[in-house]
Amino acid sequence: MEGVASALRCNSTPPICIPKSLNTTISRAEIRFSGPPRLSLSSHCIRYGSSQISPFHFSKISSRNKGDKILLAPPEAGVSTETSEWAMQDFYTLRKDVETVLERVEEIRASAGLKQLEKNLADLEEASGDSSLWNDRAKAQQTLQALTDLKEKIKLLNDFKAQAEEAETIVNLTEEMDSVDPGFLEEAVGIIKELRNALDLFELTQLLSGPYDKEGAVISITAGAGGTDAQDWADMLLRMYVRWGEKQRFKTKVVEKSMGEEAGIKSATIEVEGRYAYGYISGEKGTHRIVRQSPFNSKGLRQTSFSGVEVMPLLPEDSLNVEIPEEDLEFSFSRAGGKGGQNVNKVESAVRITHIPTGVTVRCTEERSQLANKIKGMSRLKAKLLVIAEEQRASEIKQIKGDTVKAEWGQQIRNYVFHPYKLVKDVRTGHETSDVASVMDGELEPFIKAYLKYKYSVKIEEQQS
Amino acid sequence: MKSSRASLSSILQPVFSLRRPAFCSAAPPKPQTPLHLRPPAFRAALSDLQRWQAWAKTQASSVGSTFSALDGGPDSSLLLRELNWLVEDAVEHPALLSTENKVTAEVAIRAQLEEMYELWRQRIEERRPFQYVVGCEHWRDLILSVEEGVLIPRPETETIVDLVDHAVKADEELREGLWADLGTGSGALGIAVARILGGGGRVLAVDLSPVAAAVARYNVERYCLEARVSVRVGSWFDPLKDVEGELNGVVSNPPYIPSKNIHSLQAEVSRHEPILALDGGADGMDDLIHLCHGAASMLKPRGFFAFETNGEIQSKLVLDYIQNEMEGSFCRLEIVSDFAGIQRFVTGYKA
Repeated sequence: MEGVASALRCNSTPPICIPKSLNTTISRAEIRFSGPPRLSLSSHCIRYGSSQISPFHFSKISSRNKGDKILLAPPEAGVSTETSEWAMQDFYTLRKDVETVLERVEEIRASAGLKQLEKNLADLEEASGDSSLWNDRAKAQQTLQALTDLKEKIKLLNDFKAQAEEAETIVNLTEEMDSVDPGFLEEAVGIIKELRNALDLFELTQLLSGPYDKEGAVISITAGAGGTDAQDWADMLLRMYVRWGEKQRFKTKVVEKSMGEEAGIKSATIEVEGRYAYGYISGEKGTHRIVRQSPFNSKGLRQTSFSGVEVMPLLPEDSLNVEIPEEDLEFSFSRAGGKGGQNVNKVESAVRITHIPTGVTVRCTEERSQLANKIKGMSRLKAKLLVIAEEQRASEIKQIKGDTVKAEWGQQIRNYVFHPYKLVKDVRTGHETSDVASVMDGELEPFIKAYLKYKYSVKIEEQQS
Repeated sequence: MKSSRASLSSILQPVFSLRRPAFCSAAPPKPQTPLHLRPPAFRAALSDLQRWQAWAKTQASSVGSTFSALDGGPDSSLLLRELNWLVEDAVEHPALLSTENKVTAEVAIRAQLEEMYELWRQRIEERRPFQYVVGCEHWRDLILSVEEGVLIPRPETETIVDLVDHAVKADEELREGLWADLGTGSGALGIAVARILGGGGRVLAVDLSPVAAAVARYNVERYCLEARVSVRVGSWFDPLKDVEGELNGVVSNPPYIPSKNIHSLQAEVSRHEPILALDGGADGMDDLIHLCHGAASMLKPRGFFAFETNGEIQSKLVLDYIQNEMEGSFCRLEIVSDFAGIQRFVTGYKA
């Protein structure tokens, strides 16, 4: 208690004077109070999706009760020692947090190049005021979009600072006064917590700089060879991604599902609408491998199955500015063999489109007419080719190297071991968890975050070499 | 079947009347409103509807490959896809059905729950075609109303519209003026061709069946094409005597299945679709031959025709017939394959 009291006395002096012995309690209190800084993509994306809403719009954590003041005074004053100890620990934790966050905000503002951004904004504003702007409609729209994005970003960076300063003010005020208002402090704790999430998200979003990262996503899942086990595995992955999308509050829709003979699915397609959906989920493409005791085998033998996941951006029709020569395309329509025409009445209208030079294929079965499937299939194919071109840094579809596509898109990216132990491990990032159930329930953020960081670092390395 | 149809049509008739122009003949048949256009006037507990869906899934799954082994009918996975579409058409907010939380929510549906059971029972037990169950067929970019007595347009036939598109792009003169769709059925080809032609073209859509003509008119109205597509009742070119020699183009998907084959078709077709639209006589060629002769007298010089056939041999027979028996009538004759690679269409131009 003596230590706390003495620490209290040096409140007005720089924070360096906090006794070392307090550090342990600080971290304990931190866990208790604000919880580990946990990235929540969902709350984030909603805000980004409707950028009018400030990321800091949160409700007050607790009602403030003026009569509930805890005096920052030595225990002799008659206040319960325990209460005041907690309050003080909280306060130190908070003060430390505020300092850290202030530093982090400054770092982020600097690394985001705020000064340059402001200069860019001025330039863009000038450009958008130019009377010749609308001579080129597409370019004008581009300019205006860039302007909006830039304004949003600058506002966000300024909001970070304002929020951090608000928390700082609360801390300073508390120090100046001789008492602690828990409601007041909790407000600051709330601000810090929200701010941390927002900063995490901002940093993550900084990693998403690909041309299609902002778009929605089309996820298609295909069961690998191996019959019912693989088809069941594909079904589990389908559920995982649907849950993930729902948790992010993205508009998530299973647009196509082809059932397996006994259980599970042969294939499925999910459309995810929402800002940055593609950026987040694009790293999921590849082969996913499961090891478990087969539920379809009476002996319960250990079984390994695979399923393939492909991710494409969900691009608006008019943005697909790609012309593909007709002769490069091969359409195959599923239709029962035999005579066709009036002889047959089946609602199967699946279209499979192959881009012959690259061997890239897409299928579309969810629409109810042949033509509708063809149109949708074509836009999927174009989106896929655009993404591949971007990955291969090809300026034209023609330059895509087909053989590498197959290898890259089919790479095994993650193992899910259910038996004999539980472990989900990403092959690329090494990120792992033993909480298989949560992952299958759509808790993919840690994997996504790890992958985005990994991808970013690879990119930086490549740029340096 | 009879009784269920009667009860169904009594439900299908209500409230909605998007129709209809004055008919010359008395008491024309009233087309049914497709399920997806009916008002979501009924409510069901979410759990009840989910129970229906689970039941319907079981029904579909239990079919396995029985139908496809029996007569080439649909297997479970196709039936399950149809079931999804039925939900899409019948339920106002289909996404609600897949929500996991079992709240005691209510769902708005376009048919009573009992009717939903009846519809799916008809689909599975009676093999009633899915398109009749929901009262529509998605064809090209159109959603066409269909019902018993009207042939369900097939995806193969979509190609004829592309063929017309190519023809009018190659010779823009064909775009302005009169076209005919013979045996129009639901009006599919007539409507799609009118949309390809644009404002300057007009289509005369002919069908012998008053039921088909009424449905075709209904579809024409739904696409607001009354000014550009006229539906006429009669046999082939009979109601077109007034425009002899004036047609820019003729398209048709006539009955072409040899009579003896009809009974062995999948049950959806043989038991439920109008035989009038399917049976092309002993070798399936009766109507095609009639159409070839009609086209020769009805088309303008350089006018275009495209006919669908039973495929392969029949296409060649039609082509041979034109070349040998009607020498000099047509030029630039061609056989065109459908998407499955079957030589399906015969096209050409009036000499």
